Amino acid sequence: MSRRPIDPRRRTLLLSMGALGLAAGLGPAWAAAPSGLLRRAVPRTGEMLPLIGMGSWITFNVGKDPALRAERVKVLQAFFERGGGMVDSSPMYGSSEEVIGHCLGQIADTGGLFAATKVWTPFQWLGVKQMEESERLWGKRRFDLMQVHNLLDWDAHLETLKAWKAEGRVRYIGMTTSHGSRHAEMAEIMATQPIDFVQFTYNVLDREAEARLLPLAAERGLGVIVNRPFQRGDLFDRFGKHPLPGWAAEIDCANWAQFFLKFAVSHPAVTCAIPATSRVDHMLENMGACYGRLPDAATRARMVRYVESL
Amino acid sequence: MSRFLPFSRDAFLALFEQYNEAVWPAPVVAYALGLIVLLSALKPYRGSGRLIAAILAGAWIWNGVAYHMLHFATLIWAAWGFGFLFVLQGLMFLVTGLMRGRLTFSFRRDAAGWTGFALTVFAMAVYPLIGTIAGQAWPSVPAFGIAPCPLAIFTFGMLLMAEPRAPLHLLVIPLLWAAVGGSAAWLLDMPQDLALPAAAVLALARAFRKNRLAKM
Repeated sequence: MSRRPIDPRRRTLLLSMGALGLAAGLGPAWAAAPSGLLRRAVPRTGEMLPLIGMGSWITFNVGKDPALRAERVKVLQAFFERGGGMVDSSPMYGSSEEVIGHCLGQIADTGGLFAATKVWTPFQWLGVKQMEESERLWGKRRFDLMQVHNLLDWDAHLETLKAWKAEGRVRYIGMTTSHGSRHAEMAEIMATQPIDFVQFTYNVLDREAEARLLPLAAERGLGVIVNRPFQRGDLFDRFGKHPLPGWAAEIDCANWAQFFLKFAVSHPAVTCAIPATSRVDHMLENMGACYGRLPDAATRARMVRYVESL
Repeated sequence: MSRFLPFSRDAFLALFEQYNEAVWPAPVVAYALGLIVLLSALKPYRGSGRLIAAILAGAWIWNGVAYHMLHFATLIWAAWGFGFLFVLQGLMFLVTGLMRGRLTFSFRRDAAGWTGFALTVFAMAVYPLIGTIAGQAWPSVPAFGIAPCPLAIFTFGMLLMAEPRAPLHLLVIPLLWAAVGGSAAWLLDMPQDLALPAAAVLALARAFRKNRLAKM
């Protein structure tokens, strides 16, 4: 899959959509980098992030095995070569942070890296140690984004994160949840706490976030990271045997991965999605969703109708 | 299916490869000790109960520390908890069998005895064979004595040969592991480990019956 130069008509469309998004007060703007890479602004700062990032649940938890680590280096290399930015992990993911650190050390150009991880412990004091350990494992002196994983002891960790942000030890802070759980508590935090990012599950079937969390994120100017855009792979199991609709080409989807990802990231309040993969070919498919046209509201509704009809 | 675990089957097998190579020749020693344990139960002698308890204690503590804490914990944080439970099981064998001398093992030609003997032989011989048939190859396989699942099956077998009754408190942690290991076996497509929950159910049923008969 080669990187496609952006069609001038496409660029016009994207910029128009960006203008519409801004005019509607939906926060993040659409934007196309000169290379055609689709990016969106972090609401708090305007910093541009590629729409497709990379998660690391399961896929980068390969321990110390040299062969599996070498494969992950290739996956991450492909991610950066296709313009990837956000890499997200957690201390909960076994050896993933250590393996990511190893891979980053093997790749010459990680210039686009937006390093995001989480703190995941019921003890505030241990959270500090954990975040420092994450810095060591990644080989980073400062994370771009530090999140409280699954809202675990979030109020205590948020105090630490606010202090770290004030000291410049982390650039952005956020909260995560997944599986569609604890949305009410997440909404309360979003409405009241000084955070920059939220992360939750959103995909073509799991659309609960559309009711409250996504509009609230837009209203509060919070970046949104979408996890489980493939519903942990279940979307492929369920729909992969069916053909893509012919009109998928109109939004530059060549495969189901791009169909699912473009649905997730085309919501105006979404900053990026973080699919995980252990394969280079799948990474290239995923990153393909970071190029070309995105669905508008009518097409998004059509995408939902299509998968629900299968 | 392995999407429910934080690691893939490839990573799991790679972990065994690294572990087995790191602890070599521990698998050979484990087989030798396993044979000593089995023969000591088949032909008991003075102090054989203490020796068996000490070896089983060593095996459980080894698995807790060397496998769970030092290796498996790199893939899943819960392995620290598993390791703690395995060490606890080892300490219980030490206290009950070695220090208090309350464990006696003797093969009897009854249902419990034959079931126990069959489980020990299964753990030592059939278990690795199933892995081989399933296409797994050394060193990417769980090995007898130094991997938790065959150790648990072997322990079930030995506890059914305990006399005069099967010590139920020593069955608790192996049963818990059977639930964990059995579900992981299903998720990770490890056919040999599917025997673990079956062995657990069989051992529990036989142990209750054995103890009920011992009361009469």
